[in-house]
Amino acid sequence: MAKVSIFKAVITLLLPLVCLSFSPEEPTDRRILVLVDDFSLKSSHSIFFNSLRSRGFLLDIKLAEDPALSLQRYGQYLYDALVLFSPSTDRFGGSLDLAAVLDFVDSGHDLIIAVDASASDLIKNIATECGVDFDEDPSTVVVDHGSYAVSESDGDHTLIVSNDFIRSDVMLGETEIQAPVLFEGIAHSLNAENSLVLKVLSASPSAYSADPSSKLSSPPTLIGSAISLVSVVQARNNARIMVTGSLAMFSNRLFRSGVQKAGSPNKYPKSGNEQFVTELSKWVFHERGHLKAVNVTHHKVGETDEPLSYRINDDLDFSVEIYEWSGKSWEPYVANDVQVQFYMMSPYVLKSLSTDQKGLYHASFKVPDVYGVFQFKVEYHKLGYTSISLSKQIPVRPFRHNEYERFITTAFPYYGASFTTMAGFFIFSFVYLYQK
Amino acid sequence: MVRSTGNDAQALFHALRSAYAATPTNLKIIDLFVGFAVCTALIQVAYMAIVGSFPFNSFLSGVLSCIGTAVLAVCLRIQVNKENKEFKDLAPERAFADFVLCNLVLHLVIMNFLG
Repeated sequence: MAKVSIFKAVITLLLPLVCLSFSPEEPTDRRILVLVDDFSLKSSHSIFFNSLRSRGFLLDIKLAEDPALSLQRYGQYLYDALVLFSPSTDRFGGSLDLAAVLDFVDSGHDLIIAVDASASDLIKNIATECGVDFDEDPSTVVVDHGSYAVSESDGDHTLIVSNDFIRSDVMLGETEIQAPVLFEGIAHSLNAENSLVLKVLSASPSAYSADPSSKLSSPPTLIGSAISLVSVVQARNNARIMVTGSLAMFSNRLFRSGVQKAGSPNKYPKSGNEQFVTELSKWVFHERGHLKAVNVTHHKVGETDEPLSYRINDDLDFSVEIYEWSGKSWEPYVANDVQVQFYMMSPYVLKSLSTDQKGLYHASFKVPDVYGVFQFKVEYHKLGYTSISLSKQIPVRPFRHNEYERFITTAFPYYGASFTTMAGFFIFSFVYLYQK
Repeated sequence: MVRSTGNDAQALFHALRSAYAATPTNLKIIDLFVGFAVCTALIQVAYMAIVGSFPFNSFLSGVLSCIGTAVLAVCLRIQVNKENKEFKDLAPERAFADFVLCNLVLHLVIMNFLG
């Protein structure tokens, strides 16, 4: 009896651990490794960490030099996401290095990188691999004499405000961010050759990247809206990365601070940082914008079974269900821009799918008058959403010999002509042979 | 030259008629048959121009049946014409047997293609 109860207890303890692993059915990251330079970040950034914990994440906050650091054990990843709040680290402890971080992302895990003016080459290199180039000069920060935040110790205008957000409800939530976001840190630009990286928050046209304590001897290399303050990447494997040059953006100090943009009469009691960072982290950790397509079915109009092949000019029904992960459950995804292709080297049919608002997408169309091996394809790539790319192969055959239409009324004159000619041939032969 | 056009045409027509009257009867019968086949073909083409080309295979077989028959009949006419020295070694019976065989093959194909 005692053994059974111990066994039960062990099972009850192990069960949550088993359930917590990342799976396509539950795409939210559960276990997050946070690397810091200094444990004081635990208290100075506690609002951000607590918001993650309250959303059900398990945070493992460690020093970046911790010699026991490891992302994986026995080939299994121990974490679903990595947060690098350790800008000045030259070398990670344990088995973690640049390649390990990139492998982690390549296997579909998420990453947040936040640096400040003390950013090390290691962290900058990780960002470069993600398509984001930080200003190479280590002494520079973003300075903006046009849209800085009004404060008591107003001096070098390095605490700047911006509300130049990307227009995407899926990334930043449906509630509009009213107050501008405070930013204090270094500038980065996007690698023009990387088509996956996006600017989420860009600097105002009057910003530039320079050392505020010395006189400008040459024009700054990064200026105006070319400076990105916060950027995101969604990789082709749906791993999401967020990069920002301001670690202070996540801090309690800027979360709680009031904000007033220089030259603007509007004074907000609380900056937009908390809402911005929380919403964007929901996106990064797949609580929003993660789509799945299931139940791809197709059949002839009026039938229910999926055929092995179609005949040319058949009428068919195609349907697919698309759901979006809301952080807790799969909710129906509603959009009017999902399309299906009937594809053989090029799309012969391209049709928008109509939705029933409950996640079911449907279209009916006629198979083209061409036979061969076709595919149903749904290629859906929308800003901020994980991409859907599914295909299903189906052969299309021509009419069988006995499936052609016979005795067409229009063709009766032709039939008549043929038979008349035959009769004519018969009569002609008769007349020709027996004429005297 | 210009004013005598009407008379010339009439004279030409008469000459043609009198020359054709000398043609043997069996050749005249063949000519009649060719005329019949070509007319049937023309009627079908006119019909297709009105109703459209939908059962195109039927149209093709209908027209080709007529044209084919006409061509074969013309071939027969060339071979049985006594004034044509090229085929003087070929018996008219043999020519007619060839004609019948070709027609049978033609109409077999036409029946298959008619739809």
